[in-house]
Amino acid sequence: MFNGFSQSVMGASHEKTGLVCQDSSAFKVADNYAIAVVADGHGSKKHFRSHIGSKYAVESTIEAIDRFYEDADEFEANFPKNHKMILRNIEKQIIANWNTKVSKHLEENPVTPEERSKFTDEEFEKIQPESYYGSTLIAAIAGREFTFGVQIGDGTLVALFDDGKAVMPMEYNESAPANVTASICNSNAATMFSSFYTDKKKVIAMFASTDGLYTSFGSEYDFLDYHTIITSQLTNLEKFKQVIVNNLTKRSRFGTEDDISLACVFDEDLLNDSISLIRQRVEENKQEAADRKAETLRKQV
Amino acid sequence: MSNEKITGAAMNAALDGFEAASSAAQNTQAGNALDFDDDPLSATGVSRKSLVIFFLIDTSGSMKGKKMGELNTVMEELIPEIRRVGEADTEVKVAVLTFSTDVRWMYSTPIPIEDFEWARLRANGVTSMGAAFKELSLRMSRNSFLNSPSLSFAPVIFLMTDGYPSDDYREGLKELQSNSWYKFGLKAALGIGNEANDDVLAEFTGSKDTVVHAYSGGQLAQMIKIIAVTSSQIGSKSMTLSDDTGREIGEEDVFAAKQKLLGQQIQELVGSQVEESDVPFDTGW
Repeated sequence: MFNGFSQSVMGASHEKTGLVCQDSSAFKVADNYAIAVVADGHGSKKHFRSHIGSKYAVESTIEAIDRFYEDADEFEANFPKNHKMILRNIEKQIIANWNTKVSKHLEENPVTPEERSKFTDEEFEKIQPESYYGSTLIAAIAGREFTFGVQIGDGTLVALFDDGKAVMPMEYNESAPANVTASICNSNAATMFSSFYTDKKKVIAMFASTDGLYTSFGSEYDFLDYHTIITSQLTNLEKFKQVIVNNLTKRSRFGTEDDISLACVFDEDLLNDSISLIRQRVEENKQEAADRKAETLRKQV
Repeated sequence: MSNEKITGAAMNAALDGFEAASSAAQNTQAGNALDFDDDPLSATGVSRKSLVIFFLIDTSGSMKGKKMGELNTVMEELIPEIRRVGEADTEVKVAVLTFSTDVRWMYSTPIPIEDFEWARLRANGVTSMGAAFKELSLRMSRNSFLNSPSLSFAPVIFLMTDGYPSDDYREGLKELQSNSWYKFGLKAALGIGNEANDDVLAEFTGSKDTVVHAYSGGQLAQMIKIIAVTSSQIGSKSMTLSDDTGREIGEEDVFAAKQKLLGQQIQELVGSQVEESDVPFDTGW
């Protein structure tokens, strides 16, 4: 049985400038799958409704996965055979859902004079309406027999498989245009997704996080070790929920001051069976971190 | 759906994200009451926004004696001053590349200023500046020295030399100029003694304003401190991406503005220095 958590904290820099939190996050444990999803609204001037766009990105993803799992047996049978094509279809469905929500919102809530007043006529005409809502998206999904993930824009997906090692399994889409931040609002968004799929390993826990979390670390090793420590704490989920609020708030306040979101789903049974291994990994990681630091501080001249 | 489980915040976010966002904001504001010390996740520390300062130091034979002795002393004194720059909200890391006949890094990776200890340098050999530029370009990459997730600012690159390059520095510089970190980095250079060629140094920094010259030990100490402290202050400054009218400006404009500000401040500080009557490096050489 899967369980999970999700948490968003507002960045210190957004508190200072009076912006609302641009992130959204959620998890869902359904009959046949579990999903953790986060989205980071761009927050800059022309994306003035991106806090709504990130909420729609999260909702659109859960609704898309729900739809593909309407006939779970057929979906689980087909996915391993055609996973590349099915991933593309899921991505297209997410974009379609998001565009529908954005169009409806804009129709019901036209741009206000206050929103409009921040632009010259020329500037405003250049902005595509979808851009008002621009957001990233990262989703991690565990099915019965496989795991997969989709991502557009910044953010990170971390998985702990049954060997207890934290990894970033996403295969990045090298064809996405350089120097363009991939966003769900891009006209060619469906071609800008990165994704991963595996049916080779059982997943203990999967995490999706917005960029604010990653950038609060000094090294990628620390970032991965952090997820192993979190996994070791998930056996007491209720206690952990306060721990993660504290920690994400601290990371935002003393780190890069950005909004931070983290969502997770984990297999409770597999975690309980593997908890000794996870705790052993936590200790090994600590030792390796100490060894790395000692090596780093060795003078070479 | 009977067996489905959407809990707490997840329900909020999935079905009513506005509430999820605002409740998150409340959590943050309530953060004053949070106990940050009691944190099982603290084993992996929080990194502030970070900046890397690269020092490129000529350790060729002509630096022997007073120049190298003074440089070692100044750099040891400088570390606490740079630490103070970073104390506010930026983590400063330092990487030192020495070049003579060979090029060599003082440490295998940039070191946080809190942990940094200067290793006293010795001078010997020729001036392989072009090779140093190539090595710098190789390491200024997300896959190498600039791989820290918390890296937030373009690097500061500070070149110190007392002579004319003995290799094809232009070939190395061409390679370096194609590196985006170099393009957006803050660049400054210090010529030491009469033989250092300010034109070569201006080619490296892209402007004469960010090139200064030291002819004596006293001046060397002053100039190194002026450049290192000013450039790290400007380098770690978050400049807004909008101008006075609220118009958004590009990142290239921000970096150009920083480089210009560095040139102005260096020239102002250099102009305000009191002449000291110490012995020029080249006297008796």
